[in-house]
Amino acid sequence: MQELLDNKELINDMLARYGVRFGIYKNGYFKEQLFPFDAIPRIIPADQFDVIEKGLIQRVKALNCFLEDVYGEKRIIKDGVVAEEFVFSSSGYLPVCERVHPPKGIYTHISGIDLVEGKDNEWYILEDNLRIPSGASYPLIARDICRRVSPHTFVLHNVAENRDYAQLLKETMDNCNCGGINVVLTPGRYNAAFFEHSYFAERTGAILAMPEDLYVEDDIVYYKDYSEHPKKVGAIYRRLSDEYLDPMAFNPDSLIGVPNVFDAYKKGNVALINAPGNGVADDKGIYYFVPKMIRYYLGEEPILKNAPTYLPFYEEDRKYVLEHLEELVIKDVAEAGGYGVIFGKDLDKQELEKMRQLIINESRRFIAQEVIDFKDLDIVDQGEIVPRKADLRAFVLYGKEVKVWKCGLTRFSRNPDSFVVNSSQGGGFKDTWVLSQ
Amino acid sequence: MGIISIVKANNLLWLGRYAERTYTTLQVFTIYYDKMIDMDPEAYKSYCDQLGIPNVYKDKTDFIIQYIFNTKDPNSLVSNLSRAHDNAMVVRDTISSEALSYLEMALNILKLGYKGHTPLREMQKVLDELMAFWGCLDDFVEDEESRNVIKVGRYLERLDLYFRFSMPYDKKMKEYMKLGNRLVRSHLKYKEETLQRLLDIINADSSDQIVRFEAVRCINHLLEEGF
Repeated sequence: MQELLDNKELINDMLARYGVRFGIYKNGYFKEQLFPFDAIPRIIPADQFDVIEKGLIQRVKALNCFLEDVYGEKRIIKDGVVAEEFVFSSSGYLPVCERVHPPKGIYTHISGIDLVEGKDNEWYILEDNLRIPSGASYPLIARDICRRVSPHTFVLHNVAENRDYAQLLKETMDNCNCGGINVVLTPGRYNAAFFEHSYFAERTGAILAMPEDLYVEDDIVYYKDYSEHPKKVGAIYRRLSDEYLDPMAFNPDSLIGVPNVFDAYKKGNVALINAPGNGVADDKGIYYFVPKMIRYYLGEEPILKNAPTYLPFYEEDRKYVLEHLEELVIKDVAEAGGYGVIFGKDLDKQELEKMRQLIINESRRFIAQEVIDFKDLDIVDQGEIVPRKADLRAFVLYGKEVKVWKCGLTRFSRNPDSFVVNSSQGGGFKDTWVLSQ
Repeated sequence: MGIISIVKANNLLWLGRYAERTYTTLQVFTIYYDKMIDMDPEAYKSYCDQLGIPNVYKDKTDFIIQYIFNTKDPNSLVSNLSRAHDNAMVVRDTISSEALSYLEMALNILKLGYKGHTPLREMQKVLDELMAFWGCLDDFVEDEESRNVIKVGRYLERLDLYFRFSMPYDKKMKEYMKLGNRLVRSHLKYKEETLQRLLDIINADSSDQIVRFEAVRCINHLLEEGF
């Protein structure tokens, strides 16, 4: 392990060599920066990962059932398990997806589930990301580089293989492919996660496509070949969000979408990975209901816990939230990427009162959670080992079977006083070692 | 045969052109650099003139630093390599991360800027990385058509520069033959009559500036619209 730490600079140089960057837009400018890597891995023992794996598979299966139900029969709403206010008013709910059945009934092909490990040694789910979760490429390439820099480390530790991610991803695409080539659809070079799009295309053997490379004719999607031999597309791992995907079905102002691709999808001629409309299931308000979904659809007790969450929408919860605002973290359900997260302890008297009023007036807009005292992880900061807050994004792939990648993106805050770990907020990342025994 | 969209073919072609522009001009630059040491401190003026870029430099020192490292100078080596890199990034799935990494490293050297010692030390490293990049393309780009498109870009650019720098007949003819060979195999659409005219110009072996201009024009209009 020491060898890895001693070579932190070399590892980061190698990451730069391979162009491992992410982009951020700040003050109207696009800037690409390297994603700082910390060489001390997060280590998850095999028995602990077994529990996480089972819990994640259970959760993703239930979320997939929910999506099928909510765009179909709506049994869960009729049975009063999930409040309809949280479904139909969610910005992620897309009426055009009603009664649309994705190939093989899979909505949640690639899920990025954010977890934290509490000081009570319990893992808690913080968030489900079912639209276009990113981040798997970073630990994937970092591991490869670490193995080159310090092979001895991997002789001494029984670290489960993580290089199968590209294969898992390819299997996921192949499984739902409707006949034709696989493409990774990127909005373009100036997308924050462009490195990942191009890297996965390379690693899976899919074609990296820009929106202008694709067109739809008679409900079939084609990739334009320059030698005038269009290729039929069977699966699109799209890395642009629902609203921009197809100007004919969603936002008509989108210039980066593929016109009529949604029609081709509705007809079952192409798979969209992940399915449009998934946003309704990873809404911060819906998160509260996921344990109920697991019981409802699978008849099982949830293996992994949610962070204790309150919905001010319900009177009882609202009363509790208003009384304990200083102790809670408030999240705006419409925000993402670490934005819209407010810790009650950071607000002064006036701000607290303002927040209370907002919660009373717009109760559907917020959720409140107990602040989990989650474990710090060590990082090296200017030569010193210091503790920092960190989470784990685990990746679950839904192909023929539902599989959890034995790795994950561990993100940490570089600010000692912050719980926010998002890369867009200046955080760094670590490799995640799942021990094989 | 691989699958390449028009956009991607364009990126591959311009990757070849900009990477070659950096590679060849860097080699010619080192010859001029040597001249400027003790023979002709104003040789850079002729360099700019031949290349067809504006002489915006105060003196030879300013030229050496700005022409190599200035990211705001659109004609600098770093700007040309950035363009090669921009085109390469979007075709990672075709050229491979390995090949791309050599361009990254070359660009990183240039972006670090002038270190206060002789810039040729840095330039040698850039040349090494570029040579590795070209070698890597042969090894890692499995799709022959993609390789051919990059090489069409490369030989177009090289021939363009050879005309600008008035290189001898043999060198130009060698590149012309390579270009013709790759053009046919790339399936890019090109104008037969323009290619023939280019051959006539090479065979005429004229040093007339107007003929040189015509050759450069032929090179840049050889491919059909869209490239």
